[in-house]
Amino acid sequence: MTRAQAAGLPTREADSAAASAVKALQAEGRHADARERYAELVARHQRRAARIAFHYLRDAAEVDESVQDALVKAYSHLSSFREELPFEVWFTRILINGCLDRIKARTRRERWLVPMPESPHGQRDFTERVAGTGPSPEDQLLGRERRQKLAAALARLPERQRSVFMLSHYEGCTSREVSALTGLNESTVRVHLFRAIRRLRTLLADDAASIGVGGERRRVTS
Amino acid sequence: MPPALAWGENGAVSLLSRYGAGRLRHLDDSRFADLWSRAVANGESVSDPHLSTCAQCQSRYAAFTDWLERIHDDARDEAEDAFPPDRLAAQQAQVMRRLEALERPARVIMFPRFGRPVTSTQGHAQRWIAAAAAAGLVIGLAAGQFFDVRHIFTPVVRTPQLQSARAVTQGPPSGPQIVPASASNSAVSDETLFFGGDPARTSGHLQMLRAIDDITPRARDIDGPR
Repeated sequence: MTRAQAAGLPTREADSAAASAVKALQAEGRHADARERYAELVARHQRRAARIAFHYLRDAAEVDESVQDALVKAYSHLSSFREELPFEVWFTRILINGCLDRIKARTRRERWLVPMPESPHGQRDFTERVAGTGPSPEDQLLGRERRQKLAAALARLPERQRSVFMLSHYEGCTSREVSALTGLNESTVRVHLFRAIRRLRTLLADDAASIGVGGERRRVTS
Repeated sequence: MPPALAWGENGAVSLLSRYGAGRLRHLDDSRFADLWSRAVANGESVSDPHLSTCAQCQSRYAAFTDWLERIHDDARDEAEDAFPPDRLAAQQAQVMRRLEALERPARVIMFPRFGRPVTSTQGHAQRWIAAAAAAGLVIGLAAGQFFDVRHIFTPVVRTPQLQSARAVTQGPPSGPQIVPASASNSAVSDETLFFGGDPARTSGHLQMLRAIDDITPRARDIDGPR
């Protein structure tokens, strides 16, 4: 079992077959059947797409929109899909480009707008709090702080390093897959991944120190 | 030769120390990152001669991979929490609705101002009427400038008193005289004005009118109190 399969990625053969079938149905004008078949692809890729978009955007509403846009765009441009390229790669490229466009638009917008301050708990709204029987409040708080630190550290990485790290580490893609997704060389992907980890180690030095790792790492002096 | 000896000793020491240090030197974070990224990128397991023999580096490398796994789990949990199954189901339904809408032709909603058709036969007729009225007004004004038509509408009064007075002063009348209403005698009655001043004709007309008046039903007789 490859790392990609272990990460829950759908089988490529099934994807390609489904995408080709949808393309053929579209060409025949059987749109209802094409939609029905495409729903399988949506169901298979939706969760992973939401995860990837969330790593980029970190806003659930915006992630929702970007995933929807990417799925609709993929369906409407399926005629340009080539069977030799895996559907997953083709679709993820559309998704990532959409996310990057949204980040650019958000950056432009935030130049003029002051964002609403978040509550001390890191939640924007009380309605976002959901009662549950999961971890204790202390664990939740620690976990939330850790996630915030990680998100802040990731946000400080250059765009390519961030993309490569997220795709490699979070989604379990190999360097060849990341290369196909990002358009970078495989060797460049490896270099970016190495640099991303090294930089994250520096940025999250306190977190790393708390688990007894460090050795000869550089410390950030403030 | 001192320099050669010096070089030989220093060089030998340097090479030995380097070799020894290379064997004994523990791996740092950069090396761990390099090993890990190679392993991940190629989908292989980590292989390093020092790491396979040094227990200290092995434990540190294990901690390093634990740290990375924790990052992975945190990020994954956060994303999964943000998108529970019901939200994903709603998202899928929304995607399918959008796909269905793609195939329907766009519906153009008419702006309220243009809700009623601008051009119609009724509009043409109204325009012609307005144009004719305007043209008539212009023609009337132009004609009024050239012709004095005021005398057409002025009433002509022929009273016996005036006729006799004119006969005394001017002789026999040559034709009908125009007398302004303001200049007429105040003693002239309505019957005189309407029927030319002949008492016999006046009384006869009055009798006839009274007879008509008698047979004409009054409104108060018809519409009784309700």
